[in-house]
Amino acid sequence: MDWDLVYYIEQMPPVHLGEFEQIVLLAVLRLGEKAYGVPIRAEIENRAARKVTVGALYATLDRLEAKGLVHSWFADATPQRGGRSKRYFKLLPAGVEALSGSKAVFDRMWEGLHV
Amino acid sequence: MSEPPKCAEWLLRRLVGGRDADAVAGDLRESFEARGGGRFWYWWQALSCMAVRFSLYRRAVPGIGTDFSRALRRIRRNPGYALTAMLCLALALGVNTTLFSFLDSLYFRRLPVPEAGRIVQIDRKFGDFCTWRGFLGFRDGLRSVQAAAKERSVDPMEVDHTTFRVQVEGVSANYPQVLRLGTTIGAWFRADANTMLDGAAGDEPEAVISYRLWQTRFGGDANVVGKQVRILTSDFRIAGVAPREFTGTFSPLRIDVWVPLPASLNRRVDLIARLAPRATLTNAAAELGVVGAQVRAAYPGDQLLQGAVRVQPASGLLWQGGREILRPIVMLLSTVAGLVLLIACVNVANLLLSRAAVRRREMAVRRSLGASRARLFRETLAEGLVLAAGGLLLGILFGHWTGSALEWALPSVPFALYQGLLFGIDWRVALFLALAGIGCAVLFSLPPAFACSRQALNPAMKGHDSRNSRQREIYSVAQVALSLTLLIATGLLVRALQHVQSVDPGFATGHRLHVNLSAPDRGADKQVSASVFSNLVQQTRELPGVEDATLAWGVFPMVGVSCAGASRETAKKTLTNTVDPNYFDLMGIPIVRGRGFAPAESSAGMPNVIVNQTMARTFWPAADAIGKTVWLEGCDGDVPKPGTVIGVARDAKYQWLSEEPQAFYYVSRRQDPGGNGFYSLIVRTAGDPRQWIKPVLDLVERRGGGMIIYDSGTLDDAVAVTLWEVKWQASLLAALGLLAIVLAAIGVYGVVACSVAQRTREIGVRMALGAAPLDVQWMVLAHGLRITAIGIAVGLLLSAATVRLLRGFLYGLSPFDPIAFAAACLAWIGIAMLASLYPARRATRVDPMTALNFE
Repeated sequence: MDWDLVYYIEQMPPVHLGEFEQIVLLAVLRLGEKAYGVPIRAEIENRAARKVTVGALYATLDRLEAKGLVHSWFADATPQRGGRSKRYFKLLPAGVEALSGSKAVFDRMWEGLHV
Repeated sequence: MSEPPKCAEWLLRRLVGGRDADAVAGDLRESFEARGGGRFWYWWQALSCMAVRFSLYRRAVPGIGTDFSRALRRIRRNPGYALTAMLCLALALGVNTTLFSFLDSLYFRRLPVPEAGRIVQIDRKFGDFCTWRGFLGFRDGLRSVQAAAKERSVDPMEVDHTTFRVQVEGVSANYPQVLRLGTTIGAWFRADANTMLDGAAGDEPEAVISYRLWQTRFGGDANVVGKQVRILTSDFRIAGVAPREFTGTFSPLRIDVWVPLPASLNRRVDLIARLAPRATLTNAAAELGVVGAQVRAAYPGDQLLQGAVRVQPASGLLWQGGREILRPIVMLLSTVAGLVLLIACVNVANLLLSRAAVRRREMAVRRSLGASRARLFRETLAEGLVLAAGGLLLGILFGHWTGSALEWALPSVPFALYQGLLFGIDWRVALFLALAGIGCAVLFSLPPAFACSRQALNPAMKGHDSRNSRQREIYSVAQVALSLTLLIATGLLVRALQHVQSVDPGFATGHRLHVNLSAPDRGADKQVSASVFSNLVQQTRELPGVEDATLAWGVFPMVGVSCAGASRETAKKTLTNTVDPNYFDLMGIPIVRGRGFAPAESSAGMPNVIVNQTMARTFWPAADAIGKTVWLEGCDGDVPKPGTVIGVARDAKYQWLSEEPQAFYYVSRRQDPGGNGFYSLIVRTAGDPRQWIKPVLDLVERRGGGMIIYDSGTLDDAVAVTLWEVKWQASLLAALGLLAIVLAAIGVYGVVACSVAQRTREIGVRMALGAAPLDVQWMVLAHGLRITAIGIAVGLLLSAATVRLLRGFLYGLSPFDPIAFAAACLAWIGIAMLASLYPARRATRVDPMTALNFE
């Protein structure tokens, strides 16, 4: 038996989400079918009231994709927006699980507290 | 409706690239249109994308932290192999650090003064730069540089009735301003320091001592300022102590004392200068040409001003001659140190490969579970980098130690010329080390990384991997070959040393000592000073245990050069010595024809001359030299003087043991009593000459009438010290060669031991089937020997191709010296046997039952 391998699998850390990652995941979840760059940014700006640069948003989305939490695909180009295609995002089951895990942590931490 | 900025869109496409760029540009255009313009906003957003694209995180791909933590974990679980790898690397990197810091101090290190980058050295390719008179012209004429004059000498310094030799830098009064020097305590000279020495002002001349001298001779006494000292024949008042790190402008020599130069117009000096603000080296060189022409026009007869001028940044060894002497050694050592590093890298690659062999199943399983090749490749690379980092840290430590060890262990060098070369570690050295470390890591991790990521899954799962072990054997062969080449080179240098040491110098050295003296007042009447020396010889002869004593101008190596020719016209530079009549008898140099000098040679008429065999043969090829007229001192436009050859002395070595026979002549001190006021007292003693050095020195102190003692020692040492270069090369190369062998032996051991581990099962089967332990041992041993034999064959070819490069270091020994070659091969066979012996013995201890259950 190769113990190295067992060791690795045991050591696989549970996914921790940063605050901004949670916000982005939630925005993607809220938008459903229509989740691409512009609406995601608008959603975050409207609901969370924070300015987000395109660079920061795509960096986070790339990272979430690398972690296996979201999936992205390019839609066919349309005459709108200078004929440029859109990159759509969708939550994967692992993403939903990570979100609910994070929520559970917060719920437990808030339980019985009144501020 | 305004359009998004084209330039930003173009940059996005170029820098972000691909469909990502397309999608991002689309998003930006959409938002841009929705908010009704805003070029600044668009640029800001585009730049944010580019910044993210080029951020370290994005470039390095997520997971780099995991790679390193896994590498660390693996190393923690197998500390033995990691430690071996780090030690191998550390040894090689340590040696390279030391060597590079040596190179650094030789070529790159700047003077420890403010804005050292603007200091330039101005000199001529041959000879001194100018006279003091010329310097005044340059100092006042040059605008692009501020120039100071300097000159170096070794003089006796007297402090509180003790005399010792110091390195003195005579300088112009503006020297501290040009270099912007401060002091530890006290102050530098006054502006009129140079003219003060001529007695123009009533004050006493001032000297500044080095920090080192202050600490060693004055115990760091703060009251040293104002103290009286005597240097050569003048009295000085100590004005201050130089900054601790400043050792003068004759690096690597450490200057002990700075004195203002007397403003005598014909004194020869070199220049050190600081570039004016905004001036460049080119400006300075051009202006030197112009001002040089003016100075030449002012002093048309000055020969010094004719030579080609050189302006260069003052860094490293400022003495050009020293750089040239050291260049071949430095080249040799850098090559060898580089080879050692290569061997170490191959060693670590070998270790990683054997690790990869052990882990091949794990890798195969991970591959089949979906790990990408790139991922496995990166992990192996990360492991290599971690090992290199460890090796680097240890290497710095080793480098520091080797530096101190070298400073301590190197054979002594004449005149302390190179002793100041530093082995310190500064930022350049650290940078070199870091680059070397990263280079090594890549070099040795690539082969195993490829091996890991490229292996076919099926055989790996089953446990076969012949390619990996073949690769390791090839590496081992390369190591043996490289280290054999080094071993042969070392052998050759050691043989060269033996060869030179066995050369007969042509004069007796045992039971003889010399004391180099200078008359107290060199301007005194020649006859008076000659009689002072004669009296001293007489008194030395009367010391108990002294068999005989004589005087000669030079001992060994000879420096006296004059001119001689068989006719007035053919005079050429020839080495010479002025000796007492009993010199030949005392030095054991036989007169092979004619006669020696008579004790009472008349000082009138033509001087008598004794020539050596080479001179007799080359000057008068067809005739007997005895009775011939020889023309002396006819070079440089001097009027030649005739002399009569009265005898022919046997050839000897005069400057180096390795020199070719050269013409040499002797004149009698009775006929040429001056000798510049310098003479060496040579004494033959009954027993160990060292025991007589002190009594003779005491005698000189007591009865020498204030004679200055320059140097003393045995003739054996005087000869041995001229071998320093050969000894240096041989001992440094021997140390490096030894290191290379140790590394290569570890490599052979590793390969053999690993193959034993892999063949445990096979060995078990053989033993179970009745193989004798000796057969199994031989099988393992033969494996090691086979690798070594191929390595030796390759190494011999490599050596044959490269040893001719060593010709300049061998002092006449053939580069294909069979003894050196044979000894190196035999040594390697012995080492290979030793390296394979332990694995061989372990193989026979394999229990067949355990072996069959293995895995």
